[in-house]
Amino acid sequence: MGREDFRRELRDGFESIAGPPDAGLTGRVHSALVEAPERRGPVWIAGLAAALIAAMAVGALFIAGPLRQQNQQPLPAGIATPSPLPTSDVSNLPALTCNNANTVSTEGHVGEPIAYVNAVRTGTHTGYDRITIQFQNGLPGDIQIATQDNATFTQGASGRQVVLQGSAGLLITMHGVDEHTQYTGPVDFKTNYPVLLEAQQVQDFEGVVQWGLGLSRGACYRAFLLQSPLRLVIDFSTA
Amino acid sequence: MTAVMEQRPPVMLSATAGDASSFSQLIEPLLDPAFRLAAVMLADRAAAEDAVQEASIKAWRKLRQLRGDQRSLRSWFLSIVANECRMARRQRWWSVVRLAEPPRAEDSTDHYGGAAGDVRRALLRLKPEDRLPLVLHFYLDLPLDEVARTLGVSESAAKSRIYRAAQRLRPELSMEEVF
Repeated sequence: MGREDFRRELRDGFESIAGPPDAGLTGRVHSALVEAPERRGPVWIAGLAAALIAAMAVGALFIAGPLRQQNQQPLPAGIATPSPLPTSDVSNLPALTCNNANTVSTEGHVGEPIAYVNAVRTGTHTGYDRITIQFQNGLPGDIQIATQDNATFTQGASGRQVVLQGSAGLLITMHGVDEHTQYTGPVDFKTNYPVLLEAQQVQDFEGVVQWGLGLSRGACYRAFLLQSPLRLVIDFSTA
Repeated sequence: MTAVMEQRPPVMLSATAGDASSFSQLIEPLLDPAFRLAAVMLADRAAAEDAVQEASIKAWRKLRQLRGDQRSLRSWFLSIVANECRMARRQRWWSVVRLAEPPRAEDSTDHYGGAAGDVRRALLRLKPEDRLPLVLHFYLDLPLDEVARTLGVSESAAKSRIYRAAQRLRPELSMEEVF
């Protein structure tokens, strides 16, 4: 066997095992990187930061303590803090729910007349798959979430039915928001995660944005808001 | 170290400073070879995608540890992918034992007959650690010095590993027929 024959044989053999990656791999990796917890710096930076934060917290308590009754500004209900959260630390996130309908409260938020979606990301992590919808200038008027036992959704303006990957689904409906002003990313993510298989925009029309999510099964989830930047996060348990 | 850092292009500097989008841009051309490497190591495309994703996050976190400039990135990133594949194989073994998962239909079906099927089966019978140098050199077309950096060995050791693995496939092969 010649050198070139051997190389060709090996290359063909490997190609039959692997082949090219799916087109969605780049987007998947990008989403995972953006969703990943902040990178840790050297230990001394972490130590210095912790000391500074502790000093500031003590100072703030000392100064603001007597004024607490007058200046209390509660966060809008449903907004979890602190942010960003390390992905692995889920202890202070809302509990998973298996309800078929849910409303994420945006009460108390004073923003622009209409919020702009400027990023949508997906990611898979140990124990859960995540979709994040990020807003540029404020929160939508309201956010409703409804699960369904199929992955068929009706597109808002056209009335056309779309069938996403999976055997179950979840519909996110947001009022007072648009996605065409600031968002230029994909409107259909085929993720192939354990639970979240596909996410597709099904409406961006007259101030209503809807995303349909195709799920591999009817999974428990949690939906909550985070700040800096403002974003809606929905996690699906993969356990 | 400072001189090396100064030679780095802006996208690499901002990625090193912690910018995820810059890092994503930096490794985008490497995802194809990374996936092919992982798919061969794991013989499972879905698991390979998971491994590449995890490796990307780990690489981003470790980017400050990268010595050299952007030319060093490929072998460095592929070594992280290979390591992630080793971990995935260990975890997969554990999960199979723990959950008693039935074998996946696609794993048990061989659609390749004839000579191509023989090579494929022979490659899959090799230990993953033997498959690794062959994939790097013959499938991803990495030169010997990059294979050596990816494996973390000297160039002559990399050459020996490639030759040994090739001989496990074809015992009659001479060195000249391999290189």
